[in-house]
Amino acid sequence: MAVTLNDTLDVKRGDIKHYDFGMPFWDATRQKKLVIQYCKVAKKFQHFPRPVSIFTGRRRDIEWREVSGKGKVYSFTIAHRGPPAFQGKEPYAIASVTLDEGVNVIADVVNCTAEDLKVGMRVKAYWHPLDNGEHLLMWQPDKDAK
Amino acid sequence: MSLRDSAIVAYAETKVMKKSDRDVWVLMGEILEQLLDKSGFESKEIDGLVMSGLTGTGGASMFWAQSTCDMLGLEVGFCEQVHTGGCSAVGAVARAAAAIDAGMCEVAVCMFADTHVREHNGRNDRNYRRDWTDPYGVLGPPGAFGLLQRAYDAKYGVDLKALGKLAITQRNHAIMNENACEELRVPITMDDYINSRMIADPIRLLDCVMLADGAAGLIVTSKKRAKEKGLNKCVIPIGYAERTNFLGGDNLVDVTRSGHEIAGKKALAAAGWNIKDVRSFHPYDDFLIALVIQFEAFGFCKPGEGMKFVRDTDLSYNGTLPMNTGGGQISAGQAACSSHNLIEAVRQLMGEAGKRQVKDTTNALVTGIGWINYGRNWGSSAAMALVPNQ
Repeated sequence: MAVTLNDTLDVKRGDIKHYDFGMPFWDATRQKKLVIQYCKVAKKFQHFPRPVSIFTGRRRDIEWREVSGKGKVYSFTIAHRGPPAFQGKEPYAIASVTLDEGVNVIADVVNCTAEDLKVGMRVKAYWHPLDNGEHLLMWQPDKDAK
Repeated sequence: MSLRDSAIVAYAETKVMKKSDRDVWVLMGEILEQLLDKSGFESKEIDGLVMSGLTGTGGASMFWAQSTCDMLGLEVGFCEQVHTGGCSAVGAVARAAAAIDAGMCEVAVCMFADTHVREHNGRNDRNYRRDWTDPYGVLGPPGAFGLLQRAYDAKYGVDLKALGKLAITQRNHAIMNENACEELRVPITMDDYINSRMIADPIRLLDCVMLADGAAGLIVTSKKRAKEKGLNKCVIPIGYAERTNFLGGDNLVDVTRSGHEIAGKKALAAAGWNIKDVRSFHPYDDFLIALVIQFEAFGFCKPGEGMKFVRDTDLSYNGTLPMNTGGGQISAGQAACSSHNLIEAVRQLMGEAGKRQVKDTTNALVTGIGWINYGRNWGSSAAMALVPNQ
């Protein structure tokens, strides 16, 4: 039985309140760029943004780096019951994606059917405009990926 | 060692209610009364209060434990609220024992009361969610466990019939437990489990706990004081460990692993047990898959063999490894600050479980799971080894 997934693009998400230490991420989304925190000592990325490196505990070890926005699905769930703003939009898919740079990022999946959505599937960034000029990162199938 | 110098001398519990007909303070009053009546302590002798912070009714109050002292007329030297989510029940016993050992109090009440269905006073969690999962419509724990179970399935494979066996076993226990939520005391079949509606695919309705109202409590004192008081029937916590933010300094975490790997090993070592020594198991159950992951993390079986372990093991109260003999939270209702499985273990070791009494009361192992962190397993993992008074 085919299950049509909702893209949730018409969900009213309102103002997403940010922490100041995560602002470089949100500012970059205005240009549809994905930047992720990188620890120069551990040579690893971390997400969500933190006030310190989770590898060393130090602020000074962190820098922001632009990444490809490509990766593969580590896991996913299909919400059949959403929180209030999402009620009536179910079912929709949420995926935890391992970026090629080696860090997991959770976001909604668009342009994808339930049949196609698989663990290991290649995805790329999809940028959904928000009212304040920022974009919300989402995932879509990367049809060009081998 | 401090922990084993303390003793749980009394337990108390209200019936789990779909929605409480009484105020949360009234439920606490009932628990206090039961505890005093059972132990013979007078309220003036209570000098410690340890509350669980896992409460929708009191959670938004910064002064919850102090207000409770005021409401119940308790004057204490140790007043504490535990904030390790679903680990707070076993965590409360450990903190009470530590406070007793440190001389901060002698007779502590651990109070687990919540009427979050009747009266939820809101929360103001300041964490990652507002930026990083709320905009995506992740429905709290079911959403997180949906990601977790799918990852488990991709790595090892999920056997729905094994999960269904867990659901049915716990339900059968709840039917034998008069304190379980009445609405849940109806038999279920494998088809009921498999056909229950999806909440956060692959998480079904019957994979999940149902929020409910109720209260429970314990009195913890020193073994010495218990003996002086003539309280010979008591339960001794001989091993405890907790782990918060397991692999928190790593960025790519296998969500099928949990902090119970560490907390379990440490609690068992403190108790001097091998996992095979465990005679009844009372694991925290918010979702069925969490039970499977705990069997693996504690070493009942190897990683990836949890489904097989469930298929091969009789987990009923009269089986080879009795598990959540009160119905667990999934079939008794998630009430009383998630203390249900701890209270049941204490009841079993005191030999007061009636028709679901386990035969072997040599020991019991209780666990906790608390909070959901971003893209990981769960926030806190706890384990407590209990034995009856020798």
